[in-house]
Amino acid sequence: MSVASRLGVRLEPRVDVPRWMNWAVPIGSFLSALLVGSVVLLITSQNPISVYQRILERGFLDSGSLSNTLISATPLLFTGLCAAVAFRVGFFNIGGEGQFYVGAVFASGIALALGADAQSWIAIGAMILAGALGGALWAFIPGILRARFRTNEIITSLMLNYVAGIGATYLIFESDSFWRELSGTGAVFPKGKIIPLTAQWPSFDLGTLVVPFGLLLGVLVAVWLHVLQRRTRFGYEMRVVGGAPSTARYAGMRPARVVVAVAMLSGALAGLGGATDVGNFRHVLDPKGLQQSGFGYAGIVVAALARLNPLAVVFVAIILGGITNAGYALQGPDFPAGLVGTLEGLILFCTLGGEVLARYRIVLSRRRPEAMSA
Amino acid sequence: MVITNEEIMVSPGSSSPRRTVRRAGIATIALVAVLGLFTAACSSSKSSDSAKPSGPTKAAWIYVGPVNDGGWTQAHDNGRKEAATALGDNLISTYKENVPEGPETAQVIDDLVKDGNTVIFGTSYGFKDAMQAAAKKYPDVKFVQATGDDITVNGVSSVPSNYDEYWGAGEDTLYLTGIAAGKATKNNVIGVEAPFPIPEIIRQINGFALGAQSVNPDATVKVVWTKAWFDPAVERQAAESLVAAGADVIFSHQDSPTAGEVAKANNLPWLGYDSDQSAAYPSVWLTAATYDWGPYYTAKINSIRDGKWSQQNYYGTIGDQFTSIAPFGSLVSAETQSAIRAEQAKAAATKSFGWYWGLEDRMDQDGKVVITKGQTLSQKDLYTMSYFVMGIDGNPKG
Repeated sequence: MSVASRLGVRLEPRVDVPRWMNWAVPIGSFLSALLVGSVVLLITSQNPISVYQRILERGFLDSGSLSNTLISATPLLFTGLCAAVAFRVGFFNIGGEGQFYVGAVFASGIALALGADAQSWIAIGAMILAGALGGALWAFIPGILRARFRTNEIITSLMLNYVAGIGATYLIFESDSFWRELSGTGAVFPKGKIIPLTAQWPSFDLGTLVVPFGLLLGVLVAVWLHVLQRRTRFGYEMRVVGGAPSTARYAGMRPARVVVAVAMLSGALAGLGGATDVGNFRHVLDPKGLQQSGFGYAGIVVAALARLNPLAVVFVAIILGGITNAGYALQGPDFPAGLVGTLEGLILFCTLGGEVLARYRIVLSRRRPEAMSA
Repeated sequence: MVITNEEIMVSPGSSSPRRTVRRAGIATIALVAVLGLFTAACSSSKSSDSAKPSGPTKAAWIYVGPVNDGGWTQAHDNGRKEAATALGDNLISTYKENVPEGPETAQVIDDLVKDGNTVIFGTSYGFKDAMQAAAKKYPDVKFVQATGDDITVNGVSSVPSNYDEYWGAGEDTLYLTGIAAGKATKNNVIGVEAPFPIPEIIRQINGFALGAQSVNPDATVKVVWTKAWFDPAVERQAAESLVAAGADVIFSHQDSPTAGEVAKANNLPWLGYDSDQSAAYPSVWLTAATYDWGPYYTAKINSIRDGKWSQQNYYGTIGDQFTSIAPFGSLVSAETQSAIRAEQAKAAATKSFGWYWGLEDRMDQDGKVVITKGQTLSQKDLYTMSYFVMGIDGNPKG
């Protein structure tokens, strides 16, 4: 028997959060992350101050760093929105990863099909629609399975990530598909056809800062989602269905429909991310690169840190993008990639942990220990 | 992650715990931003470009996997260390591991250039496009891409002048290991598991098969594709399927030594690739084709330091010891060992690659002559080889 179980430790929701906690908790959790991180760094004989300084410089402050951070942030923004929207109705879509791939497949397909003669705005518009459609269709599968047969969407959406990854790999590595380049160096190593120049999305030069069109699109979508959730009937239904499906049913709503609709909306967001990946950055369907990046899974972390708020997702995506970016700058012969991961994990853990402390009080009691065993 | 009901059910507009907590989250983000600006104000940014010709050269390696993967990336990192030892104070080297192929590659290169690196080695094919784009962006930095094929296929004019490619004739050392396999098989079925049906792998399996047939004309090479460079579970299944299909020698062209486990369990001889596993599997080990990147890296950096940069499109051979074979296991008889060493010496003497392709008329699986006697294959012929030679049981299309 541990001490915890004898004493009984439980978390009790705070009824009233004192004002000072608004700023004290985030500052506290952030500082404790830095502090714990410093201990880890000192143990591994690194200088914490210079490490933290380098994270800030290479993530956000050096010339060009912020532009690179915005590139990293763009896919995370879409997959973060994908998870945030779905989790809010209690549909745990872990399939953002696969929906992202399918979006990339659809978007690159339409760009290649339209060819170099299509006007730029038509090609880009078609890619946006196709990417969203691809992601939505892929997410429809776990959505309808959950609504009709009460299957666990965590499992089905996760498994479909592998199916999508294998499918995209098949298109480039194992078949002479429409997406695959067969001439030139394509005859030497499997690769996708590069989409025509007219279908490549622009980036906007603002002095030293380069802002990808995809990021702006993502911000617009985030604002739209915010309005959708707060100001529309559908948004209200989403909240009720997420909170209490039976209440929703008594109120005359159709929870199954709402779940399927939200699943498809969520998938469409990840699919848009896939379209952005092809249109703005890679300009090609690259199943290997996509699977190495793992944007879909990272999006779940983004959504959690943003507390499922679409507007907060924008900021969290940029910050996580910067940290990822700085992580590559940090590592090297004297700084193992594992240590970078440890630091990143500590920051995430402390931030999420701090939020729990802000929401709940820790209550120690000697009563009913059996119900509270740790 | 747990999302509780009370958190979702709160109606909009009420002052709720959720609201305050959301504010708390946004405050965290604001705090990070403010701290960032503060540090920016305190620290003046240092510029670290302008390489001095006389000082040490800063060179960086970009890896797709972890440095301790026991295969491809580790071999490159050993090469980096060899170069660091050979060049001493004249080289400051670094690396970035687990770098995804895509937009991330460009960001990593930006960072490395910012840190003052003037030579960058990309060691995965998928870095190629980012390396060429960076070569255009940073004309004063040299970019050198392993396994790149643009110079071979499209000519040197198709790439920036500060960009070069390098690779080695692994098929030649596989020909040598094929001899060991041809001698080891009793029922004349050699099983091969390989990642993808692409020219690189196809030519290497062809080399292996021709080596086996050179000492055992009846040997059949049975190929299964794993469709993965590194996937121990699939590699195990593939090896087991080869054993079930009657193969009594296993060659695993994979990044993990999993096939060795299967070989050991079935007490069958096996050959690895790119990594010496003789110590781990002494009872069943034959040998493996390996690469030594160190001398190339040393020579390349030295030539850059001497101002003798050239787009040489290096293709390493047995002669310059870029490609070689791992130590033999006890299953390889002294007679076979000396036969292989003799062939290796012959190959080294040619100072080129692919001495065996045109030893006689070579036919593809359909019996059509694809290489005539006396013909030599160019690097481009090798890079675009898409047929299996006769005696291979498998589909070169996957």
